Amino acid sequence: MRADEVEVRNPSGLHARPAALFVKTAARFVSTVTVQNVTTGAVPADAKSILAVMGSGAARGHIVRLTADGPDEEQAMTVLRDLFASGLGEELEA
Amino acid sequence: MTSGVRLTGVAGAPGIAIGPVWRFDATEGASPAATSREVPGQRPEDAIRAAAAETGRQLDALAGRLRDVGREPEAAIFDAQSLMALDPTLIADAVRRAGSAGDPADAVRAAAGAAAELFASLEDEILSARAADVRDVGARICRVLRGEVLHLPVVPSIAVCDDLPPSVTAEIPPGFLLGIALAGGSRTAHAVILARSLGIPAIVGIEGLIAAVDGRSSPSAPPVAIAMDGERGEVIVDPGSRVAADFRQREADLAQRRANAAGLRDRPAATADGERVLLVANIGTPEDAPRALAVRAEGVGLFRTEFLFMSRQTPPTETEQVDSYRRVLEAFGPERPVVIRLADIGGDKAIPYLRLAPEQNPFLGVRAIRLAYANPDLLLTQLRAIWRAGAAAKVVPHVMAPMVATLADVELLMSLRDRARNALVAEGLPVAERMVTGIMVEVPSAAFLAPELARRVDFFSIGTNDLTQYILAADRGNAALAGLQDALHPAVLRAIAGIVAGADSAGIPVAVCGELAGDPAGALVLVGLGVDELSADAGSLDGVRAALARVTRPQLDALARSALDATNAETVRDLAGALLAPAG
Repeated sequence: MRADEVEVRNPSGLHARPAALFVKTAARFVSTVTVQNVTTGAVPADAKSILAVMGSGAARGHIVRLTADGPDEEQAMTVLRDLFASGLGEELEA
Repeated sequence: MTSGVRLTGVAGAPGIAIGPVWRFDATEGASPAATSREVPGQRPEDAIRAAAAETGRQLDALAGRLRDVGREPEAAIFDAQSLMALDPTLIADAVRRAGSAGDPADAVRAAAGAAAELFASLEDEILSARAADVRDVGARICRVLRGEVLHLPVVPSIAVCDDLPPSVTAEIPPGFLLGIALAGGSRTAHAVILARSLGIPAIVGIEGLIAAVDGRSSPSAPPVAIAMDGERGEVIVDPGSRVAADFRQREADLAQRRANAAGLRDRPAATADGERVLLVANIGTPEDAPRALAVRAEGVGLFRTEFLFMSRQTPPTETEQVDSYRRVLEAFGPERPVVIRLADIGGDKAIPYLRLAPEQNPFLGVRAIRLAYANPDLLLTQLRAIWRAGAAAKVVPHVMAPMVATLADVELLMSLRDRARNALVAEGLPVAERMVTGIMVEVPSAAFLAPELARRVDFFSIGTNDLTQYILAADRGNAALAGLQDALHPAVLRAIAGIVAGADSAGIPVAVCGELAGDPAGALVLVGLGVDELSADAGSLDGVRAALARVTRPQLDALARSALDATNAETVRDLAGALLAPAG
């Protein structure tokens, strides 16, 4: 299993648009992928469920923990981490 | 039969519409499905999965169609809804609820309802607003399960319903929606936002609307017509020809007014005889900047910073604040000053991480600058962020403190400002060359102390909303006192005249950033009283600019004199209205 923590940098957090991109991407992998809002102390959520991802209430500045478990876990983690860093399709201020 | 039942609601989006009603009823399933899609013997689980997949495809297609015509923000909503329809947790919950023989549609509706409840309970406002989207997805899957077809308007119509969900509005062909009249809803409902983007009127919270419309409808007669005025929040059900003619005239007037007002944007705001008035915008977040610039705001007279502090568990960091302030300062540049208001929090605004003690009279409590006596860190961090943002954006930032009541408050403000700067310099961080520092005048004591306060600060900004509630001792939130909450009351205007005189004695400018500044009649009275700068929401600037262009300084002087002599707000409004009435 792979795990890493990333910061939510999107101005409005994981709202509909960035959450949709994240979930679509996570669903491409066969590994089980979870996302957990460490800042609020929520339980890990299924990263392939948009309701669970949006329901994690990840706001800007929150730290989330990503895990991937399965045959393509390494690739899943790299792609999802990069997706967060690039702003999940939204423009970020430096 | 007499024609015309007049109803009123809350103005959502401006505009005039007259047309046949298109009744939309979201409580689907009232009539048993005549053409159910359920295959005999099909397990509920398979029916649910098939309907969810079909719904996902429909929503994807909808997103694609909207994207093709450049309606990207709406398309993004349907992308997310498509994923919701296919959501593994939602489907699993619905399948579990249906069991082996339950009704699949009931199970889907219950599962979507439970998911929506969870969203609605989130503290984040943006996310909790998505609860309606989840319910809407559930309703859509139910429609597919029951083989129900949405009956869309077949001629251009005015939608009449409790609330209009986004997936329904998006399916109405362009041009077929003339207006939206809702019995429920709020000014922030999806339907209202959509109406604004389509440029059609919307009114929400219209009591008695459904009964009035349905009571006049019959299956054999043509649909009932209604007329609506989105600016006034007025609906006439079954208007006669005279009412219809009146609304047509309003429509023409509005089009004329908009064209005239937009045509004035290329010139700075001024009276007909050439006296310049600085017209600036109130903004609530950095995202509001483009709208303000689009209507040619000459700066920002009130940048509310509370958005940084609300809806979160921990205070915003200094870096986060620098980032927000810098974005706004850069958007407006060195030619258009931005006034950042220090956080107006405490009292009635719940900020969980500040652990403020509950108060009996929050509006008379430990609010804004008063918080800084016991706990200066909040304001110090904010002031440090503003010094740094000014340096980063290479402009001179303007700040103002709310709720200033005494000279001691000003001394505290200045000492915190200097402390923040000195600390940054000691740390070797770049700071703005200076900070223009003003105060909001919104407490009666500050109005009385105006000459003394004016000698100690760089500018005044009058907050007419709070000043009115304090002068007339009428709680802004108390609807029973709505009649007393009129900033055009001569008592308030006399206070403003005193504040202007105090500012003049020290040679500092006076702005007004309350709602009165965005009301054309109010703007004329304020400029008449000698106010130099008007700050209002971007949507009000065209109207104020147009009002100013129609009057001369001598007319405004006369208006101010009569207004100060008046004894009630209605008289003042009539006096100002007379200047704005169409000539001839």
